[in-house]
Amino acid sequence: MEAVTAFVLTLLGAALAVGLELLEAMAIVLAVGSTRRPRDAVVGAAGAVALLAVAVVVVGPLVLARLPLEPLQVVIGTALLLFGLEWLRKGVLRLAGARAPSSSLQEYLDEREAMEALPPPEPGRPDWPARIVAGKGVLLEGLEVVLIVAALGAGPEGLAPAVSGAAVAVVLVIALGAALHRPLARLPESHLKYAVGVVLSSFGVFFLGEGLGVDWPGGDAALLYLAATFVAAAQAQVVAVTARHTEAPA
Amino acid sequence: MRALRKLILGETWTLPLGVLVTLAVALAADAVAGDSAWWRHGGGFLLLALVLAAFAASLAPAWRRRRS
Repeated sequence: MEAVTAFVLTLLGAALAVGLELLEAMAIVLAVGSTRRPRDAVVGAAGAVALLAVAVVVVGPLVLARLPLEPLQVVIGTALLLFGLEWLRKGVLRLAGARAPSSSLQEYLDEREAMEALPPPEPGRPDWPARIVAGKGVLLEGLEVVLIVAALGAGPEGLAPAVSGAAVAVVLVIALGAALHRPLARLPESHLKYAVGVVLSSFGVFFLGEGLGVDWPGGDAALLYLAATFVAAAQAQVVAVTARHTEAPA
Repeated sequence: MRALRKLILGETWTLPLGVLVTLAVALAADAVAGDSAWWRHGGGFLLLALVLAAFAASLAPAWRRRRS
């Protein structure tokens, strides 16, 4: 039961985090491809994927595989806390109305507007602005994907649930992009990112504790009460921030 | 570099500083407690409390925004 809990949470966390990051990357690539030449957007994205492959080799076999288990759990726990708490902080602000909702569609429209302001590409020559914008978008979002999947994959269940979740997300997002040619408008991205923040933060505290010799009551099932605690704390913050932002101006 | 910093550390300094303080306190407690039972059984909850404090501190500017 404990192992199943950790497996399912890891798979869900990886799938959601990777899916949401890839939606943002796809929004940028689609915006570049639809306003400039699609080929240049693909070339930029492919260059970023090649750099990410190098990052996977550096983060995985060269760094993580060489660390002993306990220091590795401390490093991974700290990294997951940095990512998870930031996602959760932004999630609280979005749900409280203190920050614009997360929207890949809006990002797509903003990026299209920015690209349309540039001079058109010269025929027969590489469109470097398009390649750089598409490549940078994929590289930054992809780097977060690599770090999150590597961190979740260093957990008690190994790489299988993290990589499976990531693979499902990659297939779904690419299929959506190919079919629709624009991001989904009705996806509750703010709520999904809030959920990812809860999952990553829970894993972060869990791993950090394990790396420092803590025995969590309930073993892997501790992830459930850690997640419940983060939800309770975040919801309390949503209520408090909402109250501040809806107070009538003096 | 700014994008990379934002990617790893986030948009505020409060959160990474809070995580750093949590890590420092937890490492110190682990060093002092060694293999004692209170740390093994209760250390996780101390860690959780520190992380929640860091999280709350990162949202403090949003609490103040309306008043200013």
